[in-house]
Amino acid sequence: MKKTHAALFLSLLLTIFMIQPLSAEITGKQIMEDVYNKPTGDDMQGELTMTLTNKQGESRVRTLKQYIKYGDEVDKKIMFFQAPADVRGTSFMNWSYADGRDDDQWIYLPALKRTKRISSDGKSDYFMGSDFTYDDLGDRHPDEDTHTLLREETLEGKTCWVVESIPKEEDYMYSKTITWVMKDNYLGLRREFYDEDGDLLKILTIKKFDQIDGFWTILETEMKNVQKDHKTNMAFNNVQINRGIPDRRFTERSMTLGR
Amino acid sequence: MKRSSLKTKLYAGFILLVIVAVTVFFIQQIRQKSRMETNLDKYMPKNHPAFVYSDQAEEWFNIKDGILIAIENPDGIYNSVTLEKIKDISRKLQKMPEFDDNDVTSLYTVDNIEGTEYGLEVNAFYSRAPKDAEALDELRQNVRENDMIYGRVVSRDETTALIVAGMESEYFTDDFYREILAFAGSYEDENNTIYVAGRPIVEGTMGKLGPKDMQRMVPIVLVVITGVLLLLLRSFRATFATLLTVFVSTIWVFGLMAVLGIPIYSVSTMIPVMLIAIGVAYGIYFYNHLKQYAGRHPRAEESTALAYTIKILWKPLAMAAFTTMIGFISLLTSEVYPIKYFGIFTAFGIFSAFLMALILLPVMVILMGYHSGKKKEKAGSEYNLFIRFTDGLLARKKTIYIAVLVIATISLFGIQRVWINSSFLDKFEKDSDIVKTDTFVNSKFGGTSTLNVVLESPDADTFKKPESLRLIDRLQAETVKLDRVGNSFSLADYLKRMNKVMNEDREEFYAIPETRNMVAQYLLLYEMSGDPENLLKVTNYDYSKANVTFQLKGDDSKTINEALAVIKSFEDDFRELGIEMNFAGSGYKALVFTDLILEGQIKSIVMSLFLVLGLLILMFRSIKAGLIGVTPILITLLINFGFMGILNIALSTTTALLSSIAMGVGIDYAIHFLQHYRMNLASNPSKETALYATMNQTGKAILYNAVVVISGFLVLLFSVFPPNRTLGALVSMNMFTSLTGTLTIMMILVYTCNLFITKRKEK
Repeated sequence: MKKTHAALFLSLLLTIFMIQPLSAEITGKQIMEDVYNKPTGDDMQGELTMTLTNKQGESRVRTLKQYIKYGDEVDKKIMFFQAPADVRGTSFMNWSYADGRDDDQWIYLPALKRTKRISSDGKSDYFMGSDFTYDDLGDRHPDEDTHTLLREETLEGKTCWVVESIPKEEDYMYSKTITWVMKDNYLGLRREFYDEDGDLLKILTIKKFDQIDGFWTILETEMKNVQKDHKTNMAFNNVQINRGIPDRRFTERSMTLGR
Repeated sequence: MKRSSLKTKLYAGFILLVIVAVTVFFIQQIRQKSRMETNLDKYMPKNHPAFVYSDQAEEWFNIKDGILIAIENPDGIYNSVTLEKIKDISRKLQKMPEFDDNDVTSLYTVDNIEGTEYGLEVNAFYSRAPKDAEALDELRQNVRENDMIYGRVVSRDETTALIVAGMESEYFTDDFYREILAFAGSYEDENNTIYVAGRPIVEGTMGKLGPKDMQRMVPIVLVVITGVLLLLLRSFRATFATLLTVFVSTIWVFGLMAVLGIPIYSVSTMIPVMLIAIGVAYGIYFYNHLKQYAGRHPRAEESTALAYTIKILWKPLAMAAFTTMIGFISLLTSEVYPIKYFGIFTAFGIFSAFLMALILLPVMVILMGYHSGKKKEKAGSEYNLFIRFTDGLLARKKTIYIAVLVIATISLFGIQRVWINSSFLDKFEKDSDIVKTDTFVNSKFGGTSTLNVVLESPDADTFKKPESLRLIDRLQAETVKLDRVGNSFSLADYLKRMNKVMNEDREEFYAIPETRNMVAQYLLLYEMSGDPENLLKVTNYDYSKANVTFQLKGDDSKTINEALAVIKSFEDDFRELGIEMNFAGSGYKALVFTDLILEGQIKSIVMSLFLVLGLLILMFRSIKAGLIGVTPILITLLINFGFMGILNIALSTTTALLSSIAMGVGIDYAIHFLQHYRMNLASNPSKETALYATMNQTGKAILYNAVVVISGFLVLLFSVFPPNRTLGALVSMNMFTSLTGTLTIMMILVYTCNLFITKRKEK
């Protein structure tokens, strides 16, 4: 009897000791850094179907072909509209700079046969009327927020870390975000965005993900604005990674080609 | 008269106790549960197609009533102080829980769609108020060049800027009203004057001013009525008891409302008016008969006198009460709930007043005693006066007939000029703050009232087609030509602006783009550059619906109908494109609402006229009696509406309901007169003496009743709230015409047509 007691005590002690350093090791900050630094490849191409659905249940569906090239100083992205028919051939190009200056954006309108620069007020603008801001779509550097690991929990069968991130900048559009990060691939499975008043504003969920060309890639995602009852679904098809997209893809001339 | 026995007194005391108990119960209920309903939206019939549609459209396009805050600086608004104030007010409004960010429109919040050397830019006009002259000048230039903005958020003379905050009228409370006035006022200084206008403010002020004014006026009305009643009845006790019946029946009505959880609507304030007019009459009839009996039998016991009075009074009272109630119950056909309630509860009130007249009045006599207090000779001289009056009228039959015909003709002419007004602003004095502010804002900007035209097609992308957009553009251009239409706004304005700036700001491109693809691509471009939610105020997701907003310089029916006429002339053109036209917004709803009330009121008047006619025929078993009995009502109604037409008093919710007073009082007078005349015929040798007796009894009672009510309601002419003045004038006039109609033309007809005189009796 005494032996079993002692063994039990020892194993308990051992468990405590084993957990203690483990949880001390992994911090919210680290998780978010790992998420930020997970390999993405140098370029990506594919088809994007964007569906916006409003409160009344009406929706707008757009199909685009998109090319993205990641660089050290600048990420370049070009999109060609395939549908609806009246905007086919319209293209949109975005250069996003690592040094923090405003993005450069161009649009080519086939009906006008001209490429135009467009400008937007900033990163808190919503992308093409969707529920994603430009900032939601890009990667936010982990240093911009203070991260706390809240807990670990299982969501939709996946073990996740739940991390709360509070922006250091005071006037940021969100007061905080909470992210469920899958342990096995460092993809965020779900993220909640809270508005300036601390109320839940939007929920981002990943509906489909897979390994494409060796990289964990999100294939379908939905952002729902719970305050406006409006949602945006983005589905990616025929995704290819690291196929070596040439730089000349991302020029004003290439925009006019419509594909 | 001998006083009643103790047993009778105890019995009476018990009845009084029961009445007091019920009344106290109702008072408690009123204190606990009564609430005023001032939100006008609650008055609207929710399932009427026009309202269902408007409500839906309001949600589609975020159509709300706007609170307008105007800031005036005589030296111009382009200075850092004024601009900072505009920014501050806008931002603080956006932060208030009553408003969403998108609800606030001002120079600070609007998008400036601009063409630059790059292409299209959609930016704020300013984020920090510019300080140096150069930057201020640039801002001024930007505004001047932007047709979507110039004259809308900044006046064309550049001295006034407008901040519009759209809100649901449901959120508009007294507290919020004070808060917003104090908030806006805090931005005033020696250079900048602040004005607050807009429909929520007008509605809010009206909701407060009307009842407040009534609270002030009602005590004065009651004092005057008491005074006149005292003069006529010459008895404190009788006056007190009569007013008590009115008081008790009013409490019962509002108590029942509280018990049933039905709020007090603004039209419910008409119920006491009705009950005063009718309840006072019941009291006068009662004491009149009692006095006459006491005069004839000075030795009689109180209880005998009361028994007699009740015996001869209950039948005409019951008939009168019943017919009046039927008239009010016919208001149930109205589609407007407050009016249905008004009808039902007034009917209940009349029933209570009837019960009180037959129960409470005798009880009070038993408990307090009664003094006829008048010398007999005087009654005799009065009697002679009535005989002379009757004879005089009978001698001038033709003159009376002609006079009635002339008045009826004039009234018929006047009725054609009656117009409906759903305006809220027109309810205020011309020199009141609210009207002055409104006039000021109207003079500087497009208009303080809005009308929304909602266009809808079954096909998606209809409003990407240039032909649809060009038609919208034409619709706007034609409608804005009207004097009272300030400006308009639609999807077409966005596209014209974008087309222009994308073509180097050349004026010839300020037009709808040539092709559908061009339209679609501009729209996509705007979505990427601007705040796409702004577009949702003018079109929907699949471009199958569009909202065209017109700013009007008034909320009166004439202005709205004038605009509607021009707009509707485009209906066929739109239909050819497969587009249906509908309307939305609170101004339009108020217009439909007023029409509904009137339609219901007219239906109810016609219906109750026939009902009353039928009832009179049944009661007196004579078609002749029925036809003669409705003449005073007909004349009263004719004059009521005829005068409104001639004096340019517009029909509105309250003035329309006033005609039911004409009905109710008119029926009462006719029934009492006919009933007593028939009774007097039985006990009098000739129809002349029967008529004299009736004129002396009933005629006097009717006269007293009219004098009391008229003098009371004339007091309302001194009210500061114009609708209450109209109310006073029309109630007085209706009482007067009912009185005159009954005692002149009806009396003559009764006499001349040998009513109730069977051949046997004639022999």
